[in-house]
Amino acid sequence: MSAISLSKRKFSIHPDKLLLSTLGLLVIVPLLLFLVFPILIVFLKSFQVGDGMWGLANYTSTMVEAHFWIVVGNSLWLSVIVTVISVILGFIFAYAIQRSQMPGKQFFSIMAMLPMFAPSLLQALGLVFLLGRNGIINRWLGLDIEIYGLWGVVIADVIYAFPQAFMILSAAFAVADSRPYEAARMLGASKRQIFFDVTLPSIKFGLISSIFLVFTVTITDFGNPMVIGGNFSVLATEIYNQVSGQMNFNLGSVIAIILLIPVVVAFGIERFAGRKQAAFIPDNVSPLVPVKNKMLDSCMFIYSTVICGLILLVAAIVVYASFVKLWPYNMSFTLDNYKFDSQGGYAPLLTSVIVSLMAAVIGVVLVFGSAYVVNKTKNIITDLLNFFSILPAAIPGMVLGLAYIFFFNDTSNPLNIIYGTVFILTINSVYHYYAQGFLTASTSLQQISSNFDETSACLGASLLTTIKRVTLPILLPSILSVGVFFFMRTMVTLAAVIFLVSPKVNLAAVSVMLLDDAGNTTQAAAYSTLIILVVLVALLFLNLILKIFKIKTKSLIS
Amino acid sequence: MSKISEYKKHLLVLILGVMVGFGPLANAGEITVYSSLEDDEIADFLKVANKDLPDIKINVLRLSTGDLGARILAEKSNPKHDVIWGWAATNMINPQIMEMLEPYKAKGSDKLASKFKDAGNKWFAATGYMAAFCVNTDRLTKKGLPMPTSWEDLLNPVYKGELIMPNPNSSGTGYLQIASILQSRGEEKGWEYLEALDSNMGQYIKSGSKPCKLTRSGEYSVGASFAFIAMKSIKEGYPLKMVLPSEGSGFELEASALMASSKNKADAKKFLDWTLSPAAAKLYAKFKAIITIPGIEPSPEAQASGLPADVSTVLFDLDFAESAKNRSRILKTWREKLER
Repeated sequence: MSAISLSKRKFSIHPDKLLLSTLGLLVIVPLLLFLVFPILIVFLKSFQVGDGMWGLANYTSTMVEAHFWIVVGNSLWLSVIVTVISVILGFIFAYAIQRSQMPGKQFFSIMAMLPMFAPSLLQALGLVFLLGRNGIINRWLGLDIEIYGLWGVVIADVIYAFPQAFMILSAAFAVADSRPYEAARMLGASKRQIFFDVTLPSIKFGLISSIFLVFTVTITDFGNPMVIGGNFSVLATEIYNQVSGQMNFNLGSVIAIILLIPVVVAFGIERFAGRKQAAFIPDNVSPLVPVKNKMLDSCMFIYSTVICGLILLVAAIVVYASFVKLWPYNMSFTLDNYKFDSQGGYAPLLTSVIVSLMAAVIGVVLVFGSAYVVNKTKNIITDLLNFFSILPAAIPGMVLGLAYIFFFNDTSNPLNIIYGTVFILTINSVYHYYAQGFLTASTSLQQISSNFDETSACLGASLLTTIKRVTLPILLPSILSVGVFFFMRTMVTLAAVIFLVSPKVNLAAVSVMLLDDAGNTTQAAAYSTLIILVVLVALLFLNLILKIFKIKTKSLIS
Repeated sequence: MSKISEYKKHLLVLILGVMVGFGPLANAGEITVYSSLEDDEIADFLKVANKDLPDIKINVLRLSTGDLGARILAEKSNPKHDVIWGWAATNMINPQIMEMLEPYKAKGSDKLASKFKDAGNKWFAATGYMAAFCVNTDRLTKKGLPMPTSWEDLLNPVYKGELIMPNPNSSGTGYLQIASILQSRGEEKGWEYLEALDSNMGQYIKSGSKPCKLTRSGEYSVGASFAFIAMKSIKEGYPLKMVLPSEGSGFELEASALMASSKNKADAKKFLDWTLSPAAAKLYAKFKAIITIPGIEPSPEAQASGLPADVSTVLFDLDFAESAKNRSRILKTWREKLER
């Protein structure tokens, strides 16, 4: 629904269409301003050769190096392994949370999201403390396991990607109609048949989305390969080498553009295969309530305990290290690490909370708006909206941060006023994690039948009423989980914001980096611990609000 | 008590500031400084600078050398900072950066030796850092390895897999190390050496301080890193020894410069003068391995961790212009020969 069609049919326009068009504009304009235009500059830079000259020289000089193709191979191989592992783990975990009656679901859901709100430094340190050459495992077992290299990155990336796969799959499993399951059972279908013929098709969209997302965020992540990759190079670290190592933006942009290829391919496949699945909540819904099944519930409980235990272990060891004098050489207790000798002290933590709250609210509105428009109308504009909504997954944080400088620091841009303020940090985080939010929102919407709209339309209800009475209540768990996701990620994101913070507006994650850069590893661990604590308190607070207003959701994270 | 109320005041100011969104323009009497000095050094320096320059509000943004370079270049069309303070000279002499600078003869810069300042007065360096090995004595003893004293020693096959150094493609320290090896041995012998060293190398990691950090926590025996992080780790109590290779240590200057785009050059100049003042020099002695201001010796603490009183005796006299000029060629060769 575009502005053009709106003006053409000014007289006969239906209020519902007006609503969709307005909503469309409301999400498309910021998407253009805060994503498409900045990234366009990166695209142009990749063709810039010297002063004012244009051509393909950057591409050819990148591609003739034999080393480049090794790195491409590394990146693809890594992403495939991580995708397979993360999606399988996330699938079972989401099934356990949404389709079993095991105890402690809420606790497990929050723990599964821990890697989303633990600063990346903490994860990396945790892995080294545990699995490093001088790590606990090697020391206890007297082994010499080498973590630095492909397998180290695989472990770190799975920890990073698993919660994101879980979030989408959980949204897919969350809403379901019980009747196809009953029918299948009555027709004598085996559990296996039900799983393959009813369950799996019903979450097709979520499954495809999570595969796409995990693959893309893995291939664009440079934090883990930097810290734990050893001599294993990937495309994302090549960008860092070019840009930060050698101050060469043009060659860096080439690799950034190459990293977009997987998204274009995925989008093409999706278009080709057709993405509509049968909606699984028809109009006269009878929601699927998981039945108690001792065997299944115990298996799922054990599985969830193991997964969360491992995630918790990596973080807990660093939290523990933040209270000792000198890991691993002097293990006596101390609180000294919590006296930070960096600039600003605790102040950046407060800024981070404010920015993250804003990002959560703005993020939820924008991604659900986009997902709603994309799911309700199908034309070239919504196709593009769809494409650009998933594109951010393929943009490394560093590239997005620099693109923001190029675009917003230009005095001829009226939006220049937000440069150096908290607003640019907020908006940047929203668009950095847009794809994850959008795909979760889309997955939820895909589960809801469009029959709802038709039924309510027949009953004379407007689209707005339908949204308010039907769509929003069903989506509430999903909306909360996306909001929480934006909050968590914004609290710890680093790669993009280091280019956008100013001396007066600094963030907690940057403080962690500064402490670590200066060699104060244990203080950095302590600051990370505080960030985790703040997020946990925020989650408890949200839970309290929901309780006070008696809003029932299945579980906080979907 | 007063500390708490002061903190509350800060908090209030911060909340208010965050709410209105800080204006991007600096006020008169206020300067913005971009720096790659370490954050705790900056905090200490600023305490004194604020006392010595009470009329100037100094706002400092700290990023690592590489990230700061990317940021400065990206902001080139509309720079946000007045001063660059303590940033790798190798990066400073990049033509894309040089054209953003304004020549300024800071008070006291005439006392600096000519190799510590730009011939055209666009930058000067008051301090520097030098390459050094971090050796984990605990791991060395456990593995029964000898203490290395030179780059040449590291070729000993007993160190196989026990060495770690930065990747020169991503780390300035890494490039500094191979540039000094190539210059001191000559390119042909230099590459032969680097290829031999490669067979002992555990990994080339992406940052300059990481080899020392991983070595101090016992992951490797010897990390080729720089002196600052080594001295700091020793002070913190890690079982670490700093070794300055007998061939001479490569070093990097921490250069400062005035931005031509600055809207408050008067105060920016006052600050640059301050960085060469006796008060500042006294502070450098506490942190810095290399102080270019004549007559300042490293602190007793620094000397205790293995720094000689006259640092110039252990430095390899690196030709910065040469190393900057050949950078992309050398890195390309490195990728072809050594990157796995």
